[in-house]
Amino acid sequence: MKSVLSSEWVKLRSLASTYHTIGTAALMLVLGVLWTFYVSSLADERGSLRAAAPEQGFLPLLQMSLAVLGVLAITSEYATGVIHTSLITVPKRGRLLLAKAGIVGIATFLAASLILLVTYGASRLIAGGRRLGFNEASFADDLPMLLSSGLSATALALVGLGLGAAIRSTAGAIVSVVALLFVLPGVVNYLPPPWNTRLATILLPNLVPQIVEQRLSSRLGDGLLPPWAALGVLLIYPIIALIIGLIALERKDA
Amino acid sequence: MSVLSSEWLKIRSVRSTYLILGLGVSTILLGLVLATSAAGAYDAAPPEQQAAARIADLEEALIIMPQLCMGILGVLVVTSDYATGLIRTSLTLVPRRWPVVAAKSAVVGALALLVGALAVFGTHLTARSVLGGRFSGAYATAFADRLPLLVALTLTVPVFALLGTGLGALLRSAAGATSVIVGFVYVIPIIVGNIPEPWSERLGSLMISALPRQITGDHITTSVYGSLLPPPAAAAVMLAYAAAPLVSATWLVRRRDV
Amino acid sequence: MKLGAHVNPGFDLEVRTLVRRAGGPPPRILYRVIELQHLTKRYGGTLAVDDLSFRVEPGHVTGFLGPNGAGKSTTMRLILGLDAPTSGQALVNGRRYTSLRMPMREVGALLDAGAVHGGRSAYNHLLSLARTNGIGSARVVEVLEEVGLAGVARKRVGGFSLGMKQRLGIAAALLGDPGILMFDEPVNGLDPDGVRWIRGLMRSLAAEGRTILLSSHLMSEMALTAERIVIVGRGRLIAEATVAELTARYPSLEDAYMALTSDSVQYGAAR
Ligand SMILES: Nc1ncnc2c1ncn2[C@@H]1O[C@H](COP(=O)(O)OP(=O)(O)OP(=O)(O)O)[C@@H](O)[C@H]1O
Ligand SMILES: [Mg+2]
Repeated sequence: MKSVLSSEWVKLRSLASTYHTIGTAALMLVLGVLWTFYVSSLADERGSLRAAAPEQGFLPLLQMSLAVLGVLAITSEYATGVIHTSLITVPKRGRLLLAKAGIVGIATFLAASLILLVTYGASRLIAGGRRLGFNEASFADDLPMLLSSGLSATALALVGLGLGAAIRSTAGAIVSVVALLFVLPGVVNYLPPPWNTRLATILLPNLVPQIVEQRLSSRLGDGLLPPWAALGVLLIYPIIALIIGLIALERKDA
Repeated sequence: MSVLSSEWLKIRSVRSTYLILGLGVSTILLGLVLATSAAGAYDAAPPEQQAAARIADLEEALIIMPQLCMGILGVLVVTSDYATGLIRTSLTLVPRRWPVVAAKSAVVGALALLVGALAVFGTHLTARSVLGGRFSGAYATAFADRLPLLVALTLTVPVFALLGTGLGALLRSAAGATSVIVGFVYVIPIIVGNIPEPWSERLGSLMISALPRQITGDHITTSVYGSLLPPPAAAAVMLAYAAAPLVSATWLVRRRDV
Repeated sequence: MKLGAHVNPGFDLEVRTLVRRAGGPPPRILYRVIELQHLTKRYGGTLAVDDLSFRVEPGHVTGFLGPNGAGKSTTMRLILGLDAPTSGQALVNGRRYTSLRMPMREVGALLDAGAVHGGRSAYNHLLSLARTNGIGSARVVEVLEEVGLAGVARKRVGGFSLGMKQRLGIAAALLGDPGILMFDEPVNGLDPDGVRWIRGLMRSLAAEGRTILLSSHLMSEMALTAERIVIVGRGRLIAEATVAELTARYPSLEDAYMALTSDSVQYGAAR
């Protein structure tokens, strides 16, 4: 297993798309810095205000970019035919997918955490002593939010990997991730109560706030899931996606 | 003309086309489910709540599905040619090159118009017949009054298809172009919604989803976007979304090595 | 040829199996052998491989011939576990390929030289394959030199010519120094120098006691390289013979092939 992991690591680090996707994710830092400068200047005029924290406001960008990284980790092999060579060198398909999941998981978690922490640090430094709403809690209070945000990006990358293995098409897999992250929450909104809130609590964008016991929105209340349950649901998404991917990989001819 | 028929043949001989078209039109089913459940909830509610109950425009809420599907089809029509190397054959056969981009756009645009119309009008009429006299709001007004908005909504679908085609030809990568489309539809609006006024409303008015209601002058107060543009300006912005990537792609395809 | 210097790990494996099974009945020794048993593969309505049984043995090159669409590539994919047989089975060293622990050390294969990620360098491409089977980077450098790509090892594969990609694919097959090698049309796109190089490589690999299955449509080349020939048509076995036997009965290998496959050509030009 160690050898397969190390091979997957070589593959990931030798692809330009890895750097493109992580680079796009790192745009969060740039946007976050601009954002903080902007709200700081507003605060200088108005005294104090309540602005969204950059590491939360730009989280969808981070999640989506790393999800694309996860998708490409497998669909680029199908697109180029490298999947044949991969399966010849590692005929146990479960092992191949598991190794990919391990490497993609570690890489995206590290990248996401780093980007989140740097964005967090930079924005708090720029904000200084101004009262912007988001910079009033201590780092220790914010840490769970940062970690679970990083975890959510990793979960999405693994969902992308699993769906990519099942669908084999880059565009198809990206759209499926989009459906989970954006379309489904939109549609669920329109269901009659109580189903709209019930289903909304298990949807991906609502899990991070529930893990850290933050208010979701006035309509969803304080979150219907306890933190441990929300964390569990967040972990179930990639597990289900990877199982679907594994079944497809095992069943279908390469 | 021959380029057009060749592109038409290419698109209809691929299985994934039908999957995408089906997915785009399946919006109607989703609309049916939502309308039926809303009708059930309405009937179960006490009369005083019924009087106040409103329902969102389902075709407006669900339009993202056909938009996304046809945007992806637009991307794939170009990038699959690059991925398979077929583009070299195509451009060898049509050395002036621009007709290839034009033909692809025409085929995808026409399909998208059809899918958009089916999805928008299908969803609207389905919801109307399911809901009957229930709810005030979208489905209680006369069909003729809704017509301009339905047409404007329909037109956003070919806009997405052309945006996809243009981005696909610019970037030559399915992953890249798909990501940009997703960014346009979802990520950027979320970010724009988060920035402080007045920029949130200014930029929000430029988002694709904000355009149909600005074109018809049919503003709603609950919109998360802005509504600062007069109808002609909104129409021009919508056109620019489709045309700008296509024009620059055509220019680039003529100059770039294949 | 440096390849001969390597100890064959496939052999080690067999010895270990022998020791482990010492108490039981003696196992069949199937060392460096590809064996097809009633192998059949159906894709929808197409019977690509139809009840195919033959053995490929070590010590010589076995040519794998047949008209376009005869099922040669499919057979190789089935041997490598990429596609699942509809019925029957294909064994390498007496085992199913998918059950091998270190497959690259027992079997090397070149199927489609174009199947590489254009954005990766040749070195990284090979290294990512090598790592899966615990093969070190020194060996990657060695095979790159062996196939003549050492000078472009750090270049993007996307910029490689057809022949360079073919060499890269051969390098990948040689990585694990396997006892069994399969090549699907490896001479496509090679220059005359490359064709001669492949011929020499195949023969010396076989002379080292390896098992080589080689498909090609170039009859003159095959006559110079292979010792035994397997001919398939429409998925079925048509002939299994030595080149010597065939050239004794027909004027040339090409004439033998033409005569034997005349009923099986599916995609021939109108004559
Ligand atoms: N994945 C697949 N799906 C459907 N049919 C397939 C598939 N792979 C192969 N076939 C069919 O199986 C038959 C054998 O194809 P195969 O590629 O094995 O032939 P081949 O002997 O390698 O031919 P060539 O000499 O042209 O390379 C053909 O009729 C082909 O159409
Ligand atoms: Mg073949």
